[in-house]
Amino acid sequence: MLRRAALATSALLIGAVLLTSCTGSNTATTPTGPANPDATLAVGLSLEPSNLDIRHTSGAALEQALIDNVYQGLVTRNGDDDNAIVAALATAWNISPDGLTYTFTLRDGVTFHDGSALTADDVVTSLQTAKDDATIQNSADLANVASIASPDASTVVITLAQPNIDFLFALTGRAGLIFKNGDTTNFQTAANGTGPFRVEAWNTGQSLTLARYDGYWGERAGVAEVVLDYIPDRSAAVNAAVNGDVDVALEIDPELQSQIEGTGNFTIESGLTTDKATLAFNNQRAPLTDQRVREALRLAIDHDALVQTVVAAQTLNGPIPPLDPGYEDLTGSISYNPDRARELLAEAGAENLSLTLTIPNVYPTSIPTFLVSSFADVGVTLKVNSVDFTTWLQDVYTNHDYDLSFVRHVEARDFGNWANPSYYFGYDNPQVQSLYAQSLATTDEQQSSDLLAEAARIVDDEDAADWLFLSAPRAAVSTKVANFPKNSLNVRLPLAGVTVSSE
Amino acid sequence: MIRYALTRLGLLVLGLAVASALIFVSLRVLPGDVAQLIAGAEATPQQVAALRASLGLDVPLWQQYLDWVGGLLRGDLGTSLITGTSVVAEVVDKARVTVPLAAMSLTIALLIGIPLGVLSALGRRRVGGTVLSVGAQALAAVPVVWAGMMLVVVFAVWLGWLPPQGFPRAGWDDPGAALRALILPALTIGVVEGAMLLRFVRSATLQALGQDYVRTAAAKGLTRTRALLTHGLPNVGLSVITVLGLQIAGIIVGAVVIEQLFTLPGVGRMLVADVASRDLPKVQGELLALTGFVLVVGFVVDLVHRLVDPRQREAS
Repeated sequence: MLRRAALATSALLIGAVLLTSCTGSNTATTPTGPANPDATLAVGLSLEPSNLDIRHTSGAALEQALIDNVYQGLVTRNGDDDNAIVAALATAWNISPDGLTYTFTLRDGVTFHDGSALTADDVVTSLQTAKDDATIQNSADLANVASIASPDASTVVITLAQPNIDFLFALTGRAGLIFKNGDTTNFQTAANGTGPFRVEAWNTGQSLTLARYDGYWGERAGVAEVVLDYIPDRSAAVNAAVNGDVDVALEIDPELQSQIEGTGNFTIESGLTTDKATLAFNNQRAPLTDQRVREALRLAIDHDALVQTVVAAQTLNGPIPPLDPGYEDLTGSISYNPDRARELLAEAGAENLSLTLTIPNVYPTSIPTFLVSSFADVGVTLKVNSVDFTTWLQDVYTNHDYDLSFVRHVEARDFGNWANPSYYFGYDNPQVQSLYAQSLATTDEQQSSDLLAEAARIVDDEDAADWLFLSAPRAAVSTKVANFPKNSLNVRLPLAGVTVSSE
Repeated sequence: MIRYALTRLGLLVLGLAVASALIFVSLRVLPGDVAQLIAGAEATPQQVAALRASLGLDVPLWQQYLDWVGGLLRGDLGTSLITGTSVVAEVVDKARVTVPLAAMSLTIALLIGIPLGVLSALGRRRVGGTVLSVGAQALAAVPVVWAGMMLVVVFAVWLGWLPPQGFPRAGWDDPGAALRALILPALTIGVVEGAMLLRFVRSATLQALGQDYVRTAAAKGLTRTRALLTHGLPNVGLSVITVLGLQIAGIIVGAVVIEQLFTLPGVGRMLVADVASRDLPKVQGELLALTGFVLVVGFVVDLVHRLVDPRQREAS
């Protein structure tokens, strides 16, 4: 199954943070007063959705803004509990022992923002449409579905052609979102979901305003209004926090963190992400077809120093991040050794090598700068080709026309890219493909995780790419704000439980 | 005069036609397309191709161009491929920020450039005049972005007098806040443009000071300053009118940069975002609107110049 690499231009910069220890701040905010139910919560973030049509438009900015807040599926994930799958529009579900039949009990009393009641028919039609219509984002996640039916008004049964241990997780994504049957809403500029917030206004280039939906089936949202302020310039974002224009600033520039801390009104929050900063090698293009060359390039990078440069990051030694199944600590599988790198390049007859790095221009220049000097040190000339994201999509993603590429793969559970030889990595290893297929087909979670870990070790051993770091952007959260989510904020920003105190 | 106006109007139309072709062609050189971006990093090539067709991107370019020009003649700038809204509506919406910003910037540039330019010419043999002139040289060379950042640091971050970025969500329903939000960005553009104008006014004034009629007036017993004010300044004013067109073009370019820096939801910021997402029908509409604006300003400036300058009138 194809997992979406949310190379989200929109997600590129967004993320949550790690290691609470590294910021020295306590993560428990203690608001100074009682929660104000009429409050507006203003959140500053960098990348805006290009439209609101979450079904047809790519980009993590859309998922971040709308999933869990405006649109819901049968199930969702709890980023602050290891991405555990939790109930949303279904109250319960049952998976048959052979892993083929998923039976969902639908929640009562759910209404769409236009007031109409959610029916089993809405659920069946939404999922069937997502499966049949290839233009729907992540449609491939449902390719393995054999049938979707509702035997009665409160039950939906989904039958798979083959077992797929990732299926429930897939339903927490776009393909699993539930829409009203025959809805005539103009989804490009408006929305009609079942979530705790409805879209109130969208000022393109400025902000997206969500208002509490009073007819919500669950506990009503803790604030009357949420404003997502899109502020691409990093210093402007920090200024907005310092000035009190926003209550929360996501992905702040660590260089400017002290300015925010200086106000005394914010705590710097940390969490975990699945946001893998990936230096891809074109495994189909000489001399990168030679494992020795790939290994040499990895050995030339001092990852600890790079993490210190990037600041909001931690080291990652393989393709699977700590939040995903199949993670194991691969520290030491590769460590900085420029001498060995030079030897390997000599062995491979690749002295005086010249390579080009294609990198979207949304990333800080510190990354390419670091790589240029690291590679120069082992005799490799690196040219940097900085392009906009759309160009990257065409040249690298679609045409595989590149030597080295850098993007942040933010999406959870996207190991499948290493098992897909036509993916832009150009990595084709039948053993990895077989292990991945087995990991999906088993119904035993531990076994699945072990198989993934084994596959990930091979990908790492063969130096299919280098994982420069795991992003850990920091969020500044006002001391007036409570219950702000912490993990994976680059792909999910569930705000229903957040409260703002009066003063 | 009528014949001149008609000729000049013909040139304006020709300019717009050339601009439309140039804009259309140059945008098609950009790699990647909107279908790729909408479909994203999961779509198969077939899916992208299907989307391309549904967006009308598979129609031959010459036909796309003719369709666009046909729309233009009906007053239709086109439709965004991403939001499905009309480009005219989007531009009008964003112009609520950009037009006041440009007007404020121009006002500031004039308030700085004209009086200080005259003063620095009059005092060119004194310290003050030299300081003004050198200062203007330096300011005119300052990149707009850097000037903006400095102003933010001083007035927003240190002093906290003005908002550092953004535009009130209520927009012009909250006129006070909206104006305050535009002060720093307008100052940024206005100071840099004003410094350029200052240098221009200074040299025009020096030229006027050397003219016979000013010298004659001075010989009749007026002070040099009085002579300049009564006889020379009208001519300085005329020269200023001719550079106004250029100034306004500079302000528009400045606005594109400054709207990014200050997160102002104006035409410039929209343009940058639309280029990034390859919403080409929208970009070409926006660019043509901006180009048209600059060309029309030039047209009006020329006509006004012709009307108020007696020498030009006699020449026609």
